[in-house]
Amino acid sequence: MNRIFKRLASLPISFYCLLLILLPLVYIFFLSFLKSDSYGGFTYVFTLQNYLKLFDVVYLKVFAQSFFIAFITTVICILISYPFCLFVNEKSKMVQSILMTLVILPFLTNSLIRTYGWMVLLRKEGIINTILLNFHIIKEPLSLMYNNLGIIIGMVYTLLPFMILPLYSSISKIDPRYIEAAKDLGASKLTIFFKIIVPLTVSGLFNGVLMVFIPCIGYFFISDLLGGGKLMLLGNLIKNQFLTARDWPFGAAISIALLLVTYLLVRIYRKSGGEMDDLGGL
Amino acid sequence: MKKIVCLLLLLFLVTGCSSNNENVLNVLNWSSYIPDEVIRAFEEETGIIVNYSTYSSNEELLAKISSAKTGTYDLIFPSDYMVELMIKRDLLEKMDTSLLENVSNLKEEYLGLEFDVNNEYSLPFLATTIVIAVNRDHVTDPISSYNDLLNEKFKNNIVLLDDQRIVIGMANQALGYSMNDVNATHLDNARDWLLTLKKNVKAFDSDSPKTFLITNEVDIGVMWNAEAALALQSNPNIEIIYPLENGALSLDNYAIVKGSKNTENAYKFIDYLLRADVMKTIIEEYPYINVNMETEKILDSSYLENPAANIPEEIIAKNEMVENIGSDISKYDRLWAEIK
Amino acid sequence: MQHKILKNLFIFLVFFFLYLPILVLVVFSFNTSRMNIVFEGFTFDWYKVLFENRSLLEAFKNTMIVSLVSTLCSTIVGTLSAYVLHRYNFFGKKLIVKLLYIPIVIPEIVLGISLLSIYTLMKLDLGMFTLILSHIAFSIPYVIISVKSVLTQLNPQMEDAAKDLGANAFHVFWNVILPNLVPGIISGAMLAFTLSLDDVVISYFTAGPGSNTLPLKIYSMIKTGITPDVNALSTIILVFTLFILILVSIKQMRKIKKEARV
Repeated sequence: MNRIFKRLASLPISFYCLLLILLPLVYIFFLSFLKSDSYGGFTYVFTLQNYLKLFDVVYLKVFAQSFFIAFITTVICILISYPFCLFVNEKSKMVQSILMTLVILPFLTNSLIRTYGWMVLLRKEGIINTILLNFHIIKEPLSLMYNNLGIIIGMVYTLLPFMILPLYSSISKIDPRYIEAAKDLGASKLTIFFKIIVPLTVSGLFNGVLMVFIPCIGYFFISDLLGGGKLMLLGNLIKNQFLTARDWPFGAAISIALLLVTYLLVRIYRKSGGEMDDLGGL
Repeated sequence: MKKIVCLLLLLFLVTGCSSNNENVLNVLNWSSYIPDEVIRAFEEETGIIVNYSTYSSNEELLAKISSAKTGTYDLIFPSDYMVELMIKRDLLEKMDTSLLENVSNLKEEYLGLEFDVNNEYSLPFLATTIVIAVNRDHVTDPISSYNDLLNEKFKNNIVLLDDQRIVIGMANQALGYSMNDVNATHLDNARDWLLTLKKNVKAFDSDSPKTFLITNEVDIGVMWNAEAALALQSNPNIEIIYPLENGALSLDNYAIVKGSKNTENAYKFIDYLLRADVMKTIIEEYPYINVNMETEKILDSSYLENPAANIPEEIIAKNEMVENIGSDISKYDRLWAEIK
Repeated sequence: MQHKILKNLFIFLVFFFLYLPILVLVVFSFNTSRMNIVFEGFTFDWYKVLFENRSLLEAFKNTMIVSLVSTLCSTIVGTLSAYVLHRYNFFGKKLIVKLLYIPIVIPEIVLGISLLSIYTLMKLDLGMFTLILSHIAFSIPYVIISVKSVLTQLNPQMEDAAKDLGANAFHVFWNVILPNLVPGIISGAMLAFTLSLDDVVISYFTAGPGSNTLPLKIYSMIKTGITPDVNALSTIILVFTLFILILVSIKQMRKIKKEARV
């Protein structure tokens, strides 16, 4: 009876891992070495062509653009999250928990709807420009979207809580006596931040980096809506290979490259002392 | 807790049933092409449930059709060159026009075109041409050809379609080539032309370029005629310009997907859309070029007097059509990634 | 003192940033103007339009079905699996534990296209079934992590005691362990539900005809023009979310009070 239970109970998870995680990824890996034919299918011929194509200047540019946007987004998220979490951490426990709930709350509503909210705000004749023009702060409307700025605003907005939450949880675990001791010894605020707070929160920081940087590369809908379809990011490129250009093997090769980048970031995170279980917790 | 579980199981059953529904029609069409009310009226009249999905380019349509299991979609609306390509790849079912009472409503000049000479696989639904729409509230410079759009004054002030064949074709025509040119040097020139134009482009959008004009986001748009017609309806100071170049005509067609399980319903829907009054409703909501003789007789002045809706015949006559260019499409794919 | 004001100002600005777009949508859902630029007058019209939009309601129904069914399935599988992984050793366990983190860390788009590829390979119809399967695929790990965090805090002696009293493995799991996991299961299920409700990327690749979900529908609505009914819809979703959140926190408050009394 006990062994039967063990057998039966371990079946679903085994099937799940096999069929819905391992198989798709192995298949994508396999696909990436196949030759695509001009009809949008593929022939079972081994080729490295798809990986060589990644080094074409045109596609390297797409990689560079995506990493640039993801990098800037991550940096901005860090710059907002650190002071925010430190300041919130100084409040009473009650206020802290209310504030953190308020951080999560908007993210329980639809992400597309929130992106649409930004479109209403950032348009040429949108709310921000209208207000600034009416108060004569600017003479010409600012270009706030349909460019990189729009994409970055959208990405920072959508991904900010994924930086705030892990960072907050590691900041709240810092023993305040460390900081007091440092203060007593005459350390400046900057020294305290860089010598004590940053090293103690490094795993939370990398958790945030991982949860911001990676999705940023793949969120094609934000660059579509706020970027005006002018900037091609890796997400858009993969989407195009699968849904319009019909070159699945090439799309698979880009995905594998993206997985490698993810793996690297996970390794860094693990090195920084992060636990896998802490990832992706809202 | 138990109640919740029961409720969920019930829901599960409901989904199981609804997916087995017999009387359905799976339509895959361009976004903003058939008004919701037309579909509802058809459903009420026939009891057929229409599952309606959309796409925004012929390439997307092809990808969807070739990757989905046969029988997933019944009725699609491919453009001219895509009909040809789909026939070649054996993706379309032959059409039996004898099942369509209203087929005689179609205008002669849109039948028997090169991509499907005997209309064995397709019948025309609507046609569309590319026009330039200019908001004269803000732009006074004369504009008559695509080349005029390169003017540095228009920085960040143009919206183009997010459609590689149309936009690259535009560049080709501006340089004096054919829209479907695949010559490598010509395409290099087209790329340079587009990179210059890109400085003036605010966005690429196929789904609703009119929005950009209506909200004053941009003052110039190169778009399908119906989009321009709708923009004109909301701002009378928009000028419609037929480009000096040959321009592009696109004819979208009814076609039944190979292996369709609901062909009978597909015919019913086509026949319904071929009715004069139904087509009138469609064309009034989305003012494309009408291909229905009977509809022509009952069109209102609002359509007939809109220069972006009622396109002069000589313009249509000189328009070029997008052609199937086979494997040279990869050159277009790369060029497209290059300018984005 | 001045420092404190500056700090509070910073916190306020971050919240302003987080709530600005939502506030805008709520306000403009009552605006008579279609253009969303100036507030012209108060109206409920967009809510009326919303309830007449059948394809939108259809999408809402689909979303609820997909989210509820996938949450139910992933919660059941996730809870059981968390226990199995915690309690037993079996062949392939090490690999499974590693694999489980993949859906959490990899870009959603990669998960989406790889699922699409195998559905095509297996000749599955794209539709409600594939959609639900995909949502289960990305929710299970979250449920497992959430349940696992409660499991590790359980007293192992409890299980031993039950066994000594003659309970078999199933009874131990069902009668002893499961009741103690409820908080973890609920938070796991909530997480799975919200993730499923809001998913765009994976649904974009794995939905088929007749299985349009709300996020996909909203995506196409936003792309095809300015529609104030989108504002009305977002307001409703927001109010709904708030309602649930308040309900949950009231329940928690009561529970805390009850425990305090005991």
